[in-house]
Amino acid sequence: MDSTQISRFSLFITVFSCILAFSFGDNSSSTDAHWLLRIKSKLVDPAGVLESWSPRAHICSWNGLTCSHDEAFVIALNLSASTLSGSIPTELWNLVSLQTLDLSLNLITGSIPPEIGRLRNLRTLILFANNLSGKIPTEIGLLKKLQVLRIGDNMLAAQIPPSIGNLTELRVLGLAYCQLNGSIPAEIGNLKNLVFLDLQHNSLSGFIPAEIHNCEELQNFAASNNMLDGEIPASIGKLKSLLILNLANNSLSGSIPPEISGLSNLQYLNLLGNRLNGEIPWELNHLVQLQKLDLSSNNLSGTINLLNIHLQNLQVVVFSNNALTGSIPSNFCLKNSNLHQLFLAQNKLSGGFPLGLLNCSSLQQLDLSNNNLEGELPPTIDKLEKLTDLLLNNNSFNGSLPPEIGNMSNLENLYLFDNMITGSIPVEIGKLLSLSTIYLYDNQMSGSIPMELTNCASLTAIDFFGNHFSGSIPETIGKLKDLVLLQLRQNDLSGPIPPSLGYCKKLQQLALADNKLSGSLPATFRFLSQLSTITLYNNSFEGPLPDSLYSLRNLKIINLSHNKFSGTILPLTGSNSLTALDLTNNSFSGSIPSRLAISTNLGRLRLANNLLNGSIPSELGQLKELIFLDLSFNNLTGEVPSQLSTCQKLQHLLLNDNHFTGKMPSWLGSLHDLGELHLSSNNFQGQVPAELGNCSRLLKLSLHTNNLSGQIPHEIGQLTSLNVLNLQRNNLSGSIPPTIQQCKKLYELRLSENLLSGPIPSEIGKLTELQVILDLSRNLLSGEIPSSLGDLLKLERLNLSFNRLGGELPSSLGQLTSLVMLNLSNNHLRGQLSSTFSGFPPTSFSGNDKLCGPPLTSCMDSAGHENNILSSTAVVCIIVAIVFTSTVICLVMIYIMLRMWCNMREVLISNSTEGGGNGIEQIKREDQERWMYGDEKKRKGEYWRVMSSMALVPSQNHDDHISSSCILQVKMDTKKLGI
Amino acid sequence: MAPLSVISLSLCFLLPLLSPAISTNSEGNALHALRRRLSDPTNVLQSWDPTLVNPCTWFHVTCDSNNHVIRLDLGNSNISGTLGPELAQLQHLQYLELYKNDISGEIPKELGNLKNLVGLDLYGNRFEGEIPKSFSGLKSLRFLRLNNNNLTGSIPRELTALSNLKVFDVSNNDLCGTTPVDGPFGMFSMPSYANNMRLNGPELKGLVPYNFGC
Repeated sequence: MDSTQISRFSLFITVFSCILAFSFGDNSSSTDAHWLLRIKSKLVDPAGVLESWSPRAHICSWNGLTCSHDEAFVIALNLSASTLSGSIPTELWNLVSLQTLDLSLNLITGSIPPEIGRLRNLRTLILFANNLSGKIPTEIGLLKKLQVLRIGDNMLAAQIPPSIGNLTELRVLGLAYCQLNGSIPAEIGNLKNLVFLDLQHNSLSGFIPAEIHNCEELQNFAASNNMLDGEIPASIGKLKSLLILNLANNSLSGSIPPEISGLSNLQYLNLLGNRLNGEIPWELNHLVQLQKLDLSSNNLSGTINLLNIHLQNLQVVVFSNNALTGSIPSNFCLKNSNLHQLFLAQNKLSGGFPLGLLNCSSLQQLDLSNNNLEGELPPTIDKLEKLTDLLLNNNSFNGSLPPEIGNMSNLENLYLFDNMITGSIPVEIGKLLSLSTIYLYDNQMSGSIPMELTNCASLTAIDFFGNHFSGSIPETIGKLKDLVLLQLRQNDLSGPIPPSLGYCKKLQQLALADNKLSGSLPATFRFLSQLSTITLYNNSFEGPLPDSLYSLRNLKIINLSHNKFSGTILPLTGSNSLTALDLTNNSFSGSIPSRLAISTNLGRLRLANNLLNGSIPSELGQLKELIFLDLSFNNLTGEVPSQLSTCQKLQHLLLNDNHFTGKMPSWLGSLHDLGELHLSSNNFQGQVPAELGNCSRLLKLSLHTNNLSGQIPHEIGQLTSLNVLNLQRNNLSGSIPPTIQQCKKLYELRLSENLLSGPIPSEIGKLTELQVILDLSRNLLSGEIPSSLGDLLKLERLNLSFNRLGGELPSSLGQLTSLVMLNLSNNHLRGQLSSTFSGFPPTSFSGNDKLCGPPLTSCMDSAGHENNILSSTAVVCIIVAIVFTSTVICLVMIYIMLRMWCNMREVLISNSTEGGGNGIEQIKREDQERWMYGDEKKRKGEYWRVMSSMALVPSQNHDDHISSSCILQVKMDTKKLGI
Repeated sequence: MAPLSVISLSLCFLLPLLSPAISTNSEGNALHALRRRLSDPTNVLQSWDPTLVNPCTWFHVTCDSNNHVIRLDLGNSNISGTLGPELAQLQHLQYLELYKNDISGEIPKELGNLKNLVGLDLYGNRFEGEIPKSFSGLKSLRFLRLNNNNLTGSIPRELTALSNLKVFDVSNNDLCGTTPVDGPFGMFSMPSYANNMRLNGPELKGLVPYNFGC
């Protein structure tokens, strides 16, 4: 017998048993027992809730079962929250007398099978919060007596079957938190008795069916967090019984239908997170039962015209993140308003602080942040005496903080940051004993921080960053036992840190940077055991760090840079969770503690500009997360430990301006993330390691001022990202490798003050992004300057001085229009300087004996010097020859001029008959052609002057201009002839 | 259940505020805003960490000794996207090198506020729209290279006020009208304007409209 035969057989048995069950009604509870025991055997029951299900006990005593009065039938099965798993046993569908089935809050898997349609007596079906999947079977529509259907919080997918519209007795329909898609079936309108409809958190799309208005008994309609689109149907206003309407987080568009005012019993309306536009309809004022109203995160515009006068039950109003304009109506609240929360953040509200709110005496939370509100805060703000949260940040409020704020004794959170508030903090602030957070950052406040602030014993966070507070930090700050954050950065605070700060034992973040604070760190800091971030940079702190800081084990970020701290840095090495340590620009001395290596997450270690000595501890190689290592400008000695090669994440390695010795390490080539390598101004010897070519991400490589020798490795060409290469002031010899042409992104190249020899490779001309400088000065370079240097069109500084360069200056250098500084002095250049160089000072070219022409002495002079042995007769002959030739040239010129003038006149007459505009175009075209084929050595300015005068031709004084342009043209033509 | 959403919403507003302001690191913020506008397939902007005190240790950013950004070098970096007004906050910037990328959109007029800018290299991108008139405010500008873009409109005559301008290249665009002749424009030659089909040569003051052919 194969398996299909077995299943057929069992199906036969099942059907047979069913027939038996129907035909022997008096015996049905015992039949139910049979099925129930089968069900028990199929369910996984780790908690043993089915243990009482036993043939020995009467079925009506079994756990979770309810029998009919005559104990003839099982009418209810309730196994909710029983940790049952497995799929729904098919035997269940034989319990046809069931009226209630509740398997909610279990771990049941599988689908809801179509056989469920057989339980025709079901009135309540509750399967929510299981792992049911598949679709809702159409057969569910057969359960005509169903009143409660709750099958949400499963993994049910596909569409809601339209047959659900057959369940006309249905009062509760819960399908939330599934993966249902498709649209809400219009048949839902058939459910005349529906009271509760929950479709939240599915993937339903399409319109909300207008038929919904037939569900006249509906009290709660929740369809939030779907993908419903289209407009809210106006007919929804007919749902007179509706108490709750939640359509939040869909894609509903259009305006809010005024008909919604028909929902006269509505208490909760949530439309947040849609695409609704237009104004908030005034008709909402009719919703007199409304308690909570959320229209936030839409595109609503216009002014706020809701009045608490009408909506006296209103407790929560959220209009944040829209485009609402104007102010708030002056009669917004009545004296006895119930409004607790008003959130209007991120709109375009303007005007002053809305005085209409001051009557909202029950208000606890007010958020007007991120608007365009301005003006002063009203002194009567203390009428909002129940306020706990006042959020006015990111507006343009000005004026000072009214002292009356001290009367708002319930205030917990005060956010006034990013305004233009001036004046000082009123001492009355000290009366706010509930105040937990005060954010005044990014304002223009001044004066001293009042000592009374430290009476606010509930304070956990103070942020006054970016104001002009002066004076000292209140000595009594230690009274704030709950303080977690103290941010006073960027003020004008002076004086020392009060020792009592050490008693703020919960402090985690201390930011006092960018002030004028001085003195040393108090020893009481040892009590700040929770401290994780301390930033004191840009102050005038001094003295050694207290040794007891070593006990601060939770420190993660330390920035004491730009102060005058001295002594050793050992007290900062107590924590093993440091991620950033920046002590740049202090007077720390002693050696770098190897203990720093215990902070294995250290990413940034910056100790530059101190007086540190000794060598780099090899233990730093354990810092596998190290990205930034800056030890520059210290007195460090010895070799760079090879263990650093294991810091594979290093991107910045700055060891310049120390006394390091030894060979330049070849393992640097294994740091593939390296972007910046500064080893300059040390005593490194030996060759530039060829392995550096492997650091293909290098952007800046600076090895200048060392004792490096040998050749520049041709692997340098592999550094294709390189922006800056500085090898100056070493003993490098050999020729410049032509591979350097591959460093296409170089904008700064300095190879000066070495012993480089041979010619300048013409390939350097390929470095067309060179901009800041090309400095090859003070080497032994010889040969001619390659004309390809003329391709460096962006180059601003060129220094080839103090070499042995010879030959003539390539004319292409004249194309370097960006050149601001040029130094070719002290070479062996010769010949006449092209006029394009006349703008540079003579020092640019001095020290080249055979170079002449402006700005140097004219070549005639130097020629005269050379030929001063010529006889006076020869001189006379030359003069006569010159006079004769010039006379001939003059005569020729006059002749040509006359010919041209006549020709030109004819052309112009014909042109003017064709129309002026054409004439211009034609002449221009001629000009351009002439420019294209013309002599490239011509001075450009001169040419343009010609063009502009030519262009004047169609003016009324034809003749004058014609002649002038003719003359100039002729002059140029003769020049061309001459060459 | 449902009323919870109101509370959770209010929490949404409160939470960002609970984290304290990190800085008025305006230059870092400006650069980070730029980063958000750009698409950066080769991760050249990876090191741009906005939580650092200043952007001076970011790659492709160069600062002076006062930690003010003076160079931005992102030429030839495969970046695309647009520029925004926030770049104007880099008040000390001397060189803005964004050449040979795939940046599109208009050149923000706010760049004209960069009083210290010496070199502006936007060549080889897909910039469109007009050359901002506000560039006349770039008092230190020496090098302006806008060539090889899709710029339209005329060359603002206001640029003649740039007395330090030494290099000007708008070739290979779609500019129109005539070219200025005053101020530094007296010395710029034909190649500066090449391949702008609707550009008609030097202006003829009073005779032909400056925008002739636009």
